[in-house]
Amino acid sequence: MELDFELALRLLPLQLWNTIYMVALASFFGVLLGLPLGVVLAITDKGQIAPKPRLHKLLSTLVNIGRSFPFAILLVALIPFTRWIIGTSLGTNASIVPLTIAAAPFVARLVENSLKEVDRHIVEAARVMGSNAWQIVTKILLPEALPSILSGITLTLVNLIGNSAMVGLVGGGGLGQVAIQYGYNRFNAFIMITTVILLILLVQTVQWGGNYLVRSIAKKRGTLLYE
Amino acid sequence: MNRSNKRLLPILFAAIAAIFPGCSSKNSAQSELKVAASPVPHAQLLEFIKPDLKAKGIELVIITTDDYNMPNRALSEKEVDANFFQHIPFMEEQIEQFHYKMESLAKIELEPMGIYSKKIGSLNDLPLNGVIAIPNDPTNEARALLLLQKQGIIELDDASDLTATVLDISSNPKNLKILEVDAAMIPRSLNDVDAAAINTNYALEARLSPSNDALALEDQDSPYANVIAIRTGEESRSDLEALKEAMTSDKMRDYINQKYKGAIIPAF
Repeated sequence: MELDFELALRLLPLQLWNTIYMVALASFFGVLLGLPLGVVLAITDKGQIAPKPRLHKLLSTLVNIGRSFPFAILLVALIPFTRWIIGTSLGTNASIVPLTIAAAPFVARLVENSLKEVDRHIVEAARVMGSNAWQIVTKILLPEALPSILSGITLTLVNLIGNSAMVGLVGGGGLGQVAIQYGYNRFNAFIMITTVILLILLVQTVQWGGNYLVRSIAKKRGTLLYE
Repeated sequence: MNRSNKRLLPILFAAIAAIFPGCSSKNSAQSELKVAASPVPHAQLLEFIKPDLKAKGIELVIITTDDYNMPNRALSEKEVDANFFQHIPFMEEQIEQFHYKMESLAKIELEPMGIYSKKIGSLNDLPLNGVIAIPNDPTNEARALLLLQKQGIIELDDASDLTATVLDISSNPKNLKILEVDAAMIPRSLNDVDAAAINTNYALEARLSPSNDALALEDQDSPYANVIAIRTGEESRSDLEALKEAMTSDKMRDYINQKYKGAIIPAF
C-alpha cells in the first residue's frame, strides 16, 4: 500500500469539512421540518390528546413515502426542487436539500415515538387541570421527551453521515465521495482506509456527544438509575 | 457439488460451445477469420464488410459479446483471431493485469465525448469563475480533462495523463470550478452549469446530438478510439491485412458517417 500523504492532505481536510457542513445543516433543517411534523403525528393519532385520524393517516403515509426512497434515487428525483431552492442541482450546497428531505421524515417518526412514550398520567393530570393541547405539547410532552428526542437526533446525524457518502453523484463532495472516487474507483487503499477511519471517528464523536447530552439532562433531573 | 449444479454443468458446456462455434467440433478452415466484438457498433461494422472479405475467400465469423474480459482472453488463447470492442487505454490496462501479448491492428471508430452547454454558444464565451461538470469515474474524468486541455481551457501537469483528476490541473486561466459528477447525472444537470463534458451514449439518451449540439468533440486522434486488437506479431497475416484494409476503407468511412450521423465517427 502506497502511503500517499500528499494526496490525503489535499483531499481530506476540505472534504471532512464538507461532510460536517452538509450533515450539520441538513440535520438542522431536518429537525426544523421533522419536529413539528412528529408532534402533529403524535397528538393526532387515535387515543392521543388531539385525535384527527384522517390527518394522521395522511401525514403518516407521506412520511412513509419519504422514508421509502433509496437515497440515491431521492437525490435524482429532487433535482427540480433542489434547483428551485438553491439555484443549482450540483455541488455541496445542493446536496443539503436531498439530505434534509431524507432526514425530516426520519426525525418525525422518532419524535412521534418519543412523545407517545411520555407517561400518560402526567398528560392526564395536565388535562384535568385545564391545559390545552398547545400547553400540553410545549410544557409536558416536549420537555418530558427531550432526552429521547436528543437520542433520536443523534441517530439522525449518524444516518446522515451515511447518506452523505452518496452525494458524490451530484458532485457534493465530502468524505464519502473521496472514499468512492479516489479510494474505490482508483484502487487507492490508503485513501480508502484513511477516509473510513475519519468517518468512524466522526460517528464516534457525534454518538459520544449525543450520549453525553442525554446523560447530563437525566442527571439534572435525577432520573439516572445509577450515578 | 450438489445435484442441481451437476445438472447445470452440461448446459454450461453447451453454452460455451455455442459461444465458440469453431473451438470444439470442426477444425477451422484455413479461410476462416474469427473476431469477437461488442454488438453495437462493432459487430454491425464487421457485418458490413463480411461480403467484401468473402470475395477474397475469407469467411468472417463474428462472435458477439457484451463482456469486456472474454474477448481478450479468447484472443490470447487463440480462440479468436482478433477482437473489436476496446480502446487502447483499456487494452493497456488489461495487458498490465493479465500479461496478454496483443497489440492494435488499426483504430476504427470513436464515440466522441463532447462538451455541451445550455448557456453559451461557444467555448470562448465561458465566463470567469464558470462551472464545468465532468464525469467522476477514472477513465471518463481523465478523458474529459484531456478534452478540456485540447480546447485550451485548462492545462494538466502531464499533458497526456490518462489517469488525471482535477488535482492534476496546473493552469486554469478562467478560474473555472470543475465539478466531478456521476457520468449519468450530467445531462440531467446541464442547466445548472456553464458547460459539461458528456459521453456520447448519455448525450444521445438526453436527446443531445453530438454533431449539432456539442461545442467541442474529441477528434479521431483521441486515444479513446476503439481498435481491432490482435496477437502481437501477427499484423502481416494476409487475412488480418485484408480485414484492416476493409475496415479502414473509404466505403467504411462513408458507412459510419451515414449510419451513425456523428454519434460515432471514423478514426482512420
